[in-house]
This record gives sequence, C-alpha cells and structure tokens, in this order.
Amino acid sequence: MKKLPAMVVLILSLGIMIGSQTFLAPCVHEDGSFGSCHWAGQMMLGVGGLLFVLSLFACLSKDGPVRKGIYLAMMPASVLGILTPGTLISLCKMNAMRCRMIMQPAMIILCVLILLAALIGFLMERKRA
Amino acid sequence: MKKSYLSLKNLSRRPGRTAALVLLTAFIAFSVLGGSIVVSSLRRGLNSLEDRLGADIIVLPSSAQSKVSFEKLFLQGTTGAFYMDASVLDEVLDTPGVAAAAPQTFLASLKADCCSVKIQVIGIDPEKDFTVQPWIQESYARDIGEMEVAVGCSVEAGVGEIIRIYDERCRAVARLAPTGTGLDTAVYCTMDTMNTLLQAAESKGISHKITSDGDRQISAVYVKAQEGADIDQLNSYLNGHIRKVTAVRTRSMITQVSDSLAGVTRTVRILIAAVWALAVIILLIVFAMMTAERRREFAVLRLIGMSRRALSRMLLTESLLCSAMGALIGAVLAVALVLPFTALIESSLGLPYLTPDWKTILGYALGALLLTVLIGAASSAFAAWKLSHADPGGALREGS
Amino acid sequence: MTLKAENVSKQYFRKTGQANVFFAVQDVSINLAPGQLTVITGRSGSGKTTLLHMLSGLLSPSEGKVYLDDTDLYALNDADLSRLRNCSLCVIPQARSAVETLTALENVLLPGMLYGKQDKTADALHWLEALGIGHLQNACPAALSGGELRRMAIARALTQGGDILLADEPTGDLDDENTALVLSALRAAADAGKAVLLVTHEKDALDYADQMYQMNAGHIAGYCSKEG
Repeated sequence: MKKLPAMVVLILSLGIMIGSQTFLAPCVHEDGSFGSCHWAGQMMLGVGGLLFVLSLFACLSKDGPVRKGIYLAMMPASVLGILTPGTLISLCKMNAMRCRMIMQPAMIILCVLILLAALIGFLMERKRA
Repeated sequence: MKKSYLSLKNLSRRPGRTAALVLLTAFIAFSVLGGSIVVSSLRRGLNSLEDRLGADIIVLPSSAQSKVSFEKLFLQGTTGAFYMDASVLDEVLDTPGVAAAAPQTFLASLKADCCSVKIQVIGIDPEKDFTVQPWIQESYARDIGEMEVAVGCSVEAGVGEIIRIYDERCRAVARLAPTGTGLDTAVYCTMDTMNTLLQAAESKGISHKITSDGDRQISAVYVKAQEGADIDQLNSYLNGHIRKVTAVRTRSMITQVSDSLAGVTRTVRILIAAVWALAVIILLIVFAMMTAERRREFAVLRLIGMSRRALSRMLLTESLLCSAMGALIGAVLAVALVLPFTALIESSLGLPYLTPDWKTILGYALGALLLTVLIGAASSAFAAWKLSHADPGGALREGS
Repeated sequence: MTLKAENVSKQYFRKTGQANVFFAVQDVSINLAPGQLTVITGRSGSGKTTLLHMLSGLLSPSEGKVYLDDTDLYALNDADLSRLRNCSLCVIPQARSAVETLTALENVLLPGMLYGKQDKTADALHWLEALGIGHLQNACPAALSGGELRRMAIARALTQGGDILLADEPTGDLDDENTALVLSALRAAADAGKAVLLVTHEKDALDYADQMYQMNAGHIAGYCSKEG
C-alpha cells in the first residue's frame, strides 16, 4: 500500500514512453519530414523515461525519507511533461492534426495523474514520518 | 467521537467494499456527464451547421463528386476544389423567387506554413455574401482587405500572424468563433485575394483546371429564396433551367446529418442506460450482501441503544459518502477525458460537434452529481430499512 | 431501579409434534431488585436467553409485560426504548458482539457516543485494565480471542453505567482465573446498587447470587434465594 503511488507512476510513465512512440505518437508527414511536434514527442519520451526511473527507485527503496525526496522530484518533472507539448515545444497548427488531437491531451492527462500520484505519495510519506 | 465517526470508520476499515461502491457510482456519473456532453455537442453542432449553411439552396457544378466534396468540406473539413462558370451567378439572380445569391470559390492549398496538410481557402464576395460575412463580423468589425484572411478556430494562427499559401503572404486578421463543422479548418478571403492565390498556384504548376482569371470561375452559389416562395419549386427550376449545375436544398443535407446524429444519440443513450442498469443492479446486490454480512454488527448497535432511525441514518450516511466521492471522481474523469479529446471525438464521428460553454457543462456536472448521489442513496434504502428492522436477538444468537 | 417481568410468554409459530405453536417462554414472572445478583440456570433451549432478551427490551413478549420501575418497556416507541436501553439496560450478550471496524477501546466507548454523553475514557480504561485486557485497547476485534472479546463486552457494559446489568453466559470462554474475575466484578456491581441478572451454566456463579431461578422448557421450574 505504501508504495502504491510509486507503482502508479511507474505504469503511467511507461505509458508515456511507449505511447509517445506508438499510439500517442505525433504527426507523421506524408513526405517523411519532421515537424516540431516530432520533437515534442521525443521530449515526452525523455520525460517519461525520467519519471520511470524515479518511480523504479521509489518502488525499490526501503527508506521512507528517500521515497519522499523522489516523490518531490517527480513533481517538477511531471510539470515539465505538462508544459512540453504545445507550450515549450510548438505543435502543428491545425486542431485536427494528430499531435493536437491525441498526443497533447493524452500526455497532459498522464502527467497530471503522475503529479497527483506524486503529491499523494509525498503526503503519505510525510504523515508516516 | 462524533456519530459520523462510525460511518467514516466503517468505510475506511473496509477499503475493498468502499472502493467497489465508489467505482460503481463513478461509472454512473461518468456515463451521465460524458454522454450528456457528447449528445449536447452533437445537437449544438447540428444547429451550428444549419446557421452556417444559411441559405435555402446551394448551386454546385453538376459533376457527381462536387456534392460529395461539398458535404465532406462542411462536415469533416476535407478540402475540395470544383468550379463552374461565373455566369451561373447571373442566371441564378435572374431566376424568379430568388431574394439573394452569393458566390464562393474554393481552393485547396498544397501546404501552408501553418500546417503540414492542405487547408481549405474559401473566397467570398463581401458585397453579396450573407452566410460567412455575418460570422466574420462577430470577430472582426472591418472588411477583410487585400491579402488578408479570417481563419477558422481550428487553424492555429494568431491574429496578425502571416500565413503563406502557395508562397503568398496572407495576414490573419481574425479568428472565427467555433462552429463545430468542417468550416473551422478553413481560411476565408476576398475574391481578389483568391485570384492572386489561384495565379500563385498556377505558377507553381498546380493546375486547378481553370483559368487564372478567377472572376470567371466560382465553386458554389448560395441562394436565399424570397419570403413565401416555394423552395422545392425554386430548386427544381434551377436544376431544370441552368445548364451544368446541381441545385441542392440545404434542408436535405441537414436532414441527412440529423438522421446520423439521431442514430449516434440513440446509441449513446442506450449505452448510458446500460451502464446505469448494470451499476444499479450491482449496487443492489452489494447492499443485499452487506445486509447479510452486517446483521450481527447492527444487532450489537441496537443492543447498546441505537435506534432504528439512527441505524438507517448511519447506513445512508455511508452510502451517501461513497456515492458523493464516486460521483465527484466520475464527473472529473468525464470532463478530463471528453473535453480534451473533443477533436478526436469530432473526427471519429464525422458529424458537426460543438462543445457547450462551461456554464452548461457545469450544469450537466451538477445534475450528474445529484442524480448519482440519489441513486446511491436509494440503492441502500431497502438494505437500511431491513437491517434496522431485523431481530437483534436472533442475529446475536446465530453466532453463539 | 427495578426491572420486572409479569407473566411474560413468547411464542413462535413452528410445527412441533401435534402443535403449530412453540412457547420459548411461558408465563414467567421475575423481579430484579437493585443491589441483588440474580442467576438463571437451565438446560440449553430452556428459554433463558429469550427471557433475557425480553427483559432487555430487544424482544417484545407475546403476552405479559416488562416494567422498568413503572415504565412498560414495550409501550414505548423505538426511539425512547433505545434511549432507555442505552442509559439503563446494559446487556452482555452470549455471542461475539464487537463492531469489527472499531478498536477494543472504541467498542467500549461506543454506548456513550450514541447520545452525546460525557467522555468515559477513564472508566473504559479502568474496566479494560480490571478485566486484564488493558494492553489490547488499540487492538481490533479480529485480533482478539473469544475470551478477550467476552471481557471487552463486559467492560463495555460496566462502562455504560446503567442501573440494570443483564449478562448472558459472560464466563463461557474464560478460564477459571478470569471467570472468578468476571463474577467478582458482577458481584461488585450488585453491591454498588445495580440490579444484576446472570444467565449461566457456571456452578461457581451460585456462590455470588442473591437469588436463583431454574428454567425448564420455558417455565420457571425452581427458585431459591440466599435468605431462604
């Protein structure tokens, strides 16, 4: 139970990593060129990887204060994930494009859920301490 | 210890059962709110379509594809380009029963720098137009000038931004209000600007099979009938007397969309009803099982002096707390999933789809919350009555 | 306060032999006076528990009346009877009687919580200690043995502080030492002015009683008192 938030983040970050390259991937242009949304997708792969590693450490750690610190680190990382598609890295300009229609909302929702899970985990560890 | 303490303890010490109840009520709230938003968006989309069509009859080139292209443009934003001679406009204006007629010319860009796909450019005659002009004026009071465009809300170009179409620089002067139709992906300009763009297309080797003298070629004529005129008769007359054109009643297009919408709405409603029925049945089963499981506990409470009313109230408090929590979670999930994925839903359904404003959504959310809490409480009412009227002596004796 | 039953009977509709009606208790009168410890003995199925439930306001008699002082218990509405049960009638049932979601201490304090009475934590802790389960105050019922649960129920009744104490086989799961502890506590409650009823098979209980009833097949088959 005490590592449940870390496990939730683990699964969600895995979803970001896999999704950013597959079912949540940004636009594929007809001529094979990359738009800026491609790089947003790549950045999300990185953010997802970072969150995955952090959550793995949290799952394996037996030390409450260490887990508390990891949850704290997860929060700005997930905020980075929220801001990446569309704010930090621009996307295609048509709402009907895949990057805006699927990738952006899905990534934001996943990162918001991770932020909530990290916050709950942090509060749980603080209470336990 | 307060009396509600007992209800809270009962919920927190039985996390599995509490989670199941919360999940069930979350499903109910999610389906009600999510379904309401989708159905409402479809209705608003249909109304918007009716407003945007604006005319009674639309005259198109007589090729089989042009009607299909036009419908796809309106409903899905698929680009189209079809043409007929501009003299058709004069013939239409000369037809008895016609109050007004406005031409439009369509052009599909190969690529605009705003987008990696084609966008639809629609040229209008500001002096004659009565469908697009009022819509543009909602966002931009002045007339659109040379090499200026008004962009639909799905085109991510800010006011003042330059869009390059066939390498011609066009300045976006207005973003139009959403319509929920394919027109949200279009860009609007004057006929003069359209001429320039057509010439630019020609120079790039993109032939639209028309001369670059764009004045002489148009894509559609929007016709407004006179007050009291028989529109069907007018429609037949236009079809019979003007060569190489097809006149289409906008009502038929709306009816077609309306029929599709009715089908989707019916499906959504059936799904909501199915979720409700299943959730209510499961809730009743859970509470019935709880009745058997908690007989002894309630007998003890009666033993130490808890009245039937207080006992029922305790059980109802538990179910209300679960229902409220579940309703909140379900409502948040519905908003979090349905609203951000509006474009995906619209694209999947292929129908006009216009999300309601936040006040309407808030109203639906409050309604869904209230309904879910009431259903949760009602499901426990019989169990509460049965438990509070059970024979405590018999229940206690069972364990001895 | 005095609790008395006047010609109470309890019938159930059940086919037994030639008849369709079964009398669990038939025409029983019993008087519980303050300062007295009354014992009821009898074989299983003799109607002892049914009589106790009628006396405690949990089971309305088919015939007869039950009075607490001058108040006819079963003439009251449910709310008033429940309140009376909470204030005056402390019942120690035969079976497991814990609320599983509360700790032992919370179970003992539960009666006091229902009608917003003053905090009885000190009393509760005293009785838990006196009955040898003070160290289990924060344990959940699931972690307690049958004997420990029985003592918790006794602590609850004693903390409740009512003038009438009705105990149904309170020493059933207990060893000799704890049996003596419980019987002494009930005797002390009677000496403090409460009217105590003890339904039991325990022979040692007779040493603590002021009067004894013997039940058989729903009737009072025998009576004796310490004075007589």
